[in-house]
Amino acid sequence: MSHDSRKKSLARIRGLSSGLDAQTIAQELARLGAAPVAQPLDPDPIVCFMANVLRNQGSLALAADRREVVKAIGKYLYRHLRNNRLVAGNDPHLAALPWREGGVLPRFGEIENGEKAALSYAHWGIAETGATVLGSGKHNPPANQLLPEHHIVLLEFEGIIPDLEAFWRAEPLRRGERPRGISFIAGPSSTGDIEAQLVYGAHGPKAWHVILLGKAPPGALERARQLAGVPGDGDEAAL
Amino acid sequence: MTEQPTPGPGFIDAASAALADPAAVAQRDMLARKTPLLRQQVVDEFGEFEALRRHVKRLRQHTLDNLDHYLRRFELEATHNGNRVHFAADSQEMNAIVLDICRQHGARRIAKGKSMVTEETELAAALQRERLEVVETDLGEYIVQLAGEKPAHIVGPARHKSIAQIRELFLAAHPLGERKLDKAEALVAEARQVMRDHFLNAEIGIIGANALIAENGYTMLVTNEGNGDLCANLPKVLIVCTTLDRLLPRGEDAAALQRLLARSATGQRQTCYTSFYSGPRREQESSGPLETHIVLLDNRRSEILASDYREMLQCIRCGACLNHCPIFAAAGGHAYGSVYPGPMGSVLAPLLDSLEAHSELPDACTACGRCEEVCPAAIPLPDLLRDLRHDKSREGIGPRGWRRGLRLHAWLAARPALYQSLSQFAIRSLNLLGRRRGVLRFLPFASGWTGARDFPSPQRGTFMAQYRKEQDRRES
Repeated sequence: MSHDSRKKSLARIRGLSSGLDAQTIAQELARLGAAPVAQPLDPDPIVCFMANVLRNQGSLALAADRREVVKAIGKYLYRHLRNNRLVAGNDPHLAALPWREGGVLPRFGEIENGEKAALSYAHWGIAETGATVLGSGKHNPPANQLLPEHHIVLLEFEGIIPDLEAFWRAEPLRRGERPRGISFIAGPSSTGDIEAQLVYGAHGPKAWHVILLGKAPPGALERARQLAGVPGDGDEAAL
Repeated sequence: MTEQPTPGPGFIDAASAALADPAAVAQRDMLARKTPLLRQQVVDEFGEFEALRRHVKRLRQHTLDNLDHYLRRFELEATHNGNRVHFAADSQEMNAIVLDICRQHGARRIAKGKSMVTEETELAAALQRERLEVVETDLGEYIVQLAGEKPAHIVGPARHKSIAQIRELFLAAHPLGERKLDKAEALVAEARQVMRDHFLNAEIGIIGANALIAENGYTMLVTNEGNGDLCANLPKVLIVCTTLDRLLPRGEDAAALQRLLARSATGQRQTCYTSFYSGPRREQESSGPLETHIVLLDNRRSEILASDYREMLQCIRCGACLNHCPIFAAAGGHAYGSVYPGPMGSVLAPLLDSLEAHSELPDACTACGRCEEVCPAAIPLPDLLRDLRHDKSREGIGPRGWRRGLRLHAWLAARPALYQSLSQFAIRSLNLLGRRRGVLRFLPFASGWTGARDFPSPQRGTFMAQYRKEQDRRES
């Protein structure tokens, strides 16, 4: 049944297509050039990324080293959940964090019923949109980014790339790696389905917190807060 | 659009009925004011939005011109990624393929994400007839499912419902005891709670796709709620239902579409989730579907590709034309009697089904042109609607009196001297008839107008008379 339909549809479409060879089609496509990108909020992609995270209703924390990452996680968990429990994917970047020093007790694996906070490691952040990019795999079970109430994402400054195209040109994809799922996450889950009112925590996380690891350019967070119109709040820019 | 055995009321009757409900009219007015402003703000701040629009149009044109190449490449790559790719000629075949997969797995519970293609094929109803439990997991779709209705808007299916109406639906459907549920936040929280079990227990997940990427076999899914991603990741079997024209050549082309779609659809710079799925779970992965299927529906799209209406295949289903259409704002989505309402639906429904079945839709247009102005794919919707009206007239579809009137008008319009003298006569007569009140309470052949309001009597001469006078004045 499906095979017949395939033959018929493809035959009809073949008759309507240009009939050009693959090389000529590729040349035609290349001639279309690149798509325009959104006007950047700031010349510095790091500032852009941070401002866009805040505009996407996310919150931000900066951590100069791995010890500070754990401290920032502990602080966030205490502030929002009054506990230190967390589930984290089996990513080596997360396993290597000095958890004991920060007093956080992570469980490594996939989120289970009743667990409210999960941590993922993102290889990329998109300055243009403020999205963190997560690839699903054994290191990152997708349930950890979809089921918790609080989704915490760790990203290194080096992982911030200017735009969406830069992601598709990134080395692993060019090498032919195809993770099962690639998720651009830009904010907590939301819906506008009831009288067009924006409500957060539709099916997925109610809160999305990004921790940036590394050396921040001086004044970057303040500039990002200014651009996003979000006032400062200690070392965590939260909405 | 093949499973619609009982035709509903025509557009005009349904629109009249919709206008009789003041609360619903007020809600539509509010949305018609709000949604264009949201879009305008993000379009203005983007910078080169027009250039982006032109780029994506050229890109889609290139893809459709070489659809054979890109479709075969996608099939190859998606199969290589571990998917089973199916082709469905029509709605029945798509529904049968999905049902067959469900049966092979002995599935009882299905978590379904938002997909206009499955609305087109009436997939949920087809599965429910076979005693499968299908839950629409997009909040808007869930609300209309509880109400036993069709979506009223392709992006916001339940935007026509008030908080009070949704509250009543939830109280009746969820046995959770007494509660207030008088705010959107409370309703969303309850839907989240009720739906969670369903996501965790469903054996099959069904989602749509905003695009298919030929070079790597990925399917693209754009959402805000995250329900589509839960459907794609938690059940053991995933079925992606989409159409064979949704192709884009490369991943970076999806980036261009992403920019255009979010801004045009909801006035967002980026939706909360933009996901790409390549296939079943890989070795060493402990979660994700074990089996994935992609069903590509034709349902006359290859015929549209061969027709003068092929530009309609560039539609990215953002709903911007609906949000800017005065007719949609007044009549609401259900009046169209098709899963695709508004200007894009008025073109698409006759093409997917038949012009006879949707004969009033090409006339559901004031020719204001706003839909074309905001369409991210720059589809000339008013032109396509006019062409459909032409087809209607040529094929003898529509009331005979109406067609005769149009023929008479065409005959007169081709004789300018006669047209002008008759217009002059008509203007003089109307002036005479309305000279006392300045308005006319009754007009022959126009009772539809004068039934609800007075017709102002013409104040000056015909346009041509005024034009000539103005020319004379300038020359002197």
